[in-house]
Amino acid sequence: MKKIAVMLGLAFILVIPSILFAGGSKDKQAKKEFTLYTWSEMFPQEILDGFEKETGIRINYVNFDYDETMLTKLETAGGGDYDLVIADDYIIETAVEKGLAQKLDKSKIKNYSGINPIYQKQFYDLRDEYTVPYGAGVQTIVYDPSTVKVKISGYADLWDPSLRNSIGTIENYRVINGMALKVLGKSYNTENIADIQAAGDRLTALAPNIRLIKDDNLQDEIISGEISAAVMYTSQVTMAKIENPNLEVVFPKEGIGFGIMAGFIPSKAPNAEAAYAFLNYIMDAQRGAECFEYLGYYSTWTSSDSYISPEYKDFLTLPAGFNLDMEMIQNISPRADEEHSKIWTAFKTAAGN
Amino acid sequence: MKNNGKLRLPPKAALFNAALPMFIFTLAFVLGPMIYMVVLSFMQREGNWGVAANFTLRNYARIGEPVYLATFAQSVRLAFTTTILTGALGYPFGYYMARLKPVWRGRVMLLIIIPFWTSSLMRLYGWIIMFRANGVLDSMLLKLGFASGPLRLLYTYPAVVTGMVYALIPFMIYSVYASAEKLDWALVEAARNLGASRFKAFATVSFPLTMPGLFSGIVLTFIPSMGLFFIADILGGNKVVLVGNVIQEQLMKAHDWPYAAALSVMLMAMTSLFIFLYRRLTRSGDLEGLV
Repeated sequence: MKKIAVMLGLAFILVIPSILFAGGSKDKQAKKEFTLYTWSEMFPQEILDGFEKETGIRINYVNFDYDETMLTKLETAGGGDYDLVIADDYIIETAVEKGLAQKLDKSKIKNYSGINPIYQKQFYDLRDEYTVPYGAGVQTIVYDPSTVKVKISGYADLWDPSLRNSIGTIENYRVINGMALKVLGKSYNTENIADIQAAGDRLTALAPNIRLIKDDNLQDEIISGEISAAVMYTSQVTMAKIENPNLEVVFPKEGIGFGIMAGFIPSKAPNAEAAYAFLNYIMDAQRGAECFEYLGYYSTWTSSDSYISPEYKDFLTLPAGFNLDMEMIQNISPRADEEHSKIWTAFKTAAGN
Repeated sequence: MKNNGKLRLPPKAALFNAALPMFIFTLAFVLGPMIYMVVLSFMQREGNWGVAANFTLRNYARIGEPVYLATFAQSVRLAFTTTILTGALGYPFGYYMARLKPVWRGRVMLLIIIPFWTSSLMRLYGWIIMFRANGVLDSMLLKLGFASGPLRLLYTYPAVVTGMVYALIPFMIYSVYASAEKLDWALVEAARNLGASRFKAFATVSFPLTMPGLFSGIVLTFIPSMGLFFIADILGGNKVVLVGNVIQEQLMKAHDWPYAAALSVMLMAMTSLFIFLYRRLTRSGDLEGLV
């Protein structure tokens, strides 16, 4: 028994210091380095190289796979380590609540007025204090008219028996469950458990039509003919349409929800100045257009809209007469979220049987 | 270590000191996280991000919901299917590999090892190319007249099973090989000389002697197959839902860490139970071919 106590003591003596001093020392060169934290492939390489050349600041591009990973790391770093984070709307709401973002000094952002007002004053930043939007998407249905025999105009059409085993969807459970909620005429963000359960039953009825569920490169599956209809992200719609112009794109009539990506400067960013410099560099009207063409999401800066090439125009700027009356997917209570996970798991299981 | 009387074992204390660093390492990096996980599994979610240190059994109660029980059942089903197929294919392979000439043994061994030099994800994508609509297999079957249109082979349960068997079969081959190599073939000869047919000799002599290898192969395929959820993701189009998938989803997307911890604890308990049963059934303490 004594031996074990000694061992435990030793274990802690040896391990704890290494944890405490793992931070290492900050080098004085930090001012010349800018740490950008976002998904991979958010900016064209030419833009990143151009920024390094023009400013002499080295970009340290760190990427994450999920928003949740980002917040976990940012929390661990206490709002430090990163100079600019670009992530999804709902996670930014939590980051701001936790005090991990700093208020922007708009006088330092030259082209601030170029931001499209549609994407401002949103739930995650009601007073536009913390964020600059960078790309927006809507959940869209894409289908191949050569193989789909019905006319699809909304989510409800996806339940058609003729689409058996031929639909692909993204893996975002709030979006896909939300689809069923919309068919039932409910809000994306309802916290009424009975409503979520009803949406679950509705989704289970869709299971026989589901061929696959995946986030990465879903557009490849519709191009290769593995599936004939899909619910996908805007960037994937852009890629699919450019590859195969015959595909039909549908904004579901039940209503859609925007997802907005936005950049914020963490509360203890080591080099916030570099973040402003980077924002100024990319928000230049012409460079912004290059970024959005590469990204494949809707342009969130009006100033860049006119520079987007005709080939991309239709996908990256909002269609004329676009109905702005829409709802965004937001954070909901843990209890409602648990129910969402549950109906999602049931849906996936049903799709496999 | 041969103990022929001349060899003196080092004193106990020296052994103890030699093992100390490993012991500390294990304590800090294996036991520590495990304890953390168990403790976490009795905690509550707080808001949509945090964890509150209030004791609750709710996470375990939620595992009892039919939706989640079904994922445990699916995991076990897939593990059994994978293990049986791996055994059926890997046992003869390992057995005959041991009977090859030493030169060929080395060559075959190398062939089995080579795939491990590339990322397992890359190799899975290879299967996607095989199974894809209008892919390799599809066009072959079409040309041979076995199929009339594109087959939907990818994103199905059989595709997942194929991927699992592919990923785990080397372990089965090695364990069986390790057993068969040690086999004293003179015993088989003796059985044959005494009038046993080929099959009889195999069934009464070789098979029982290579059983330990088969059993350790079973453990080595069954246990990992409970956790290889990414294969189910990639080849099953996310429709074959295993406990691993649910754990990942709860951690990464729903951010419900306590529930993810509870699921992990249950999965570990289940796996331990299988190992315990295996030991009771086979009465073996050690695993053949495993150091």
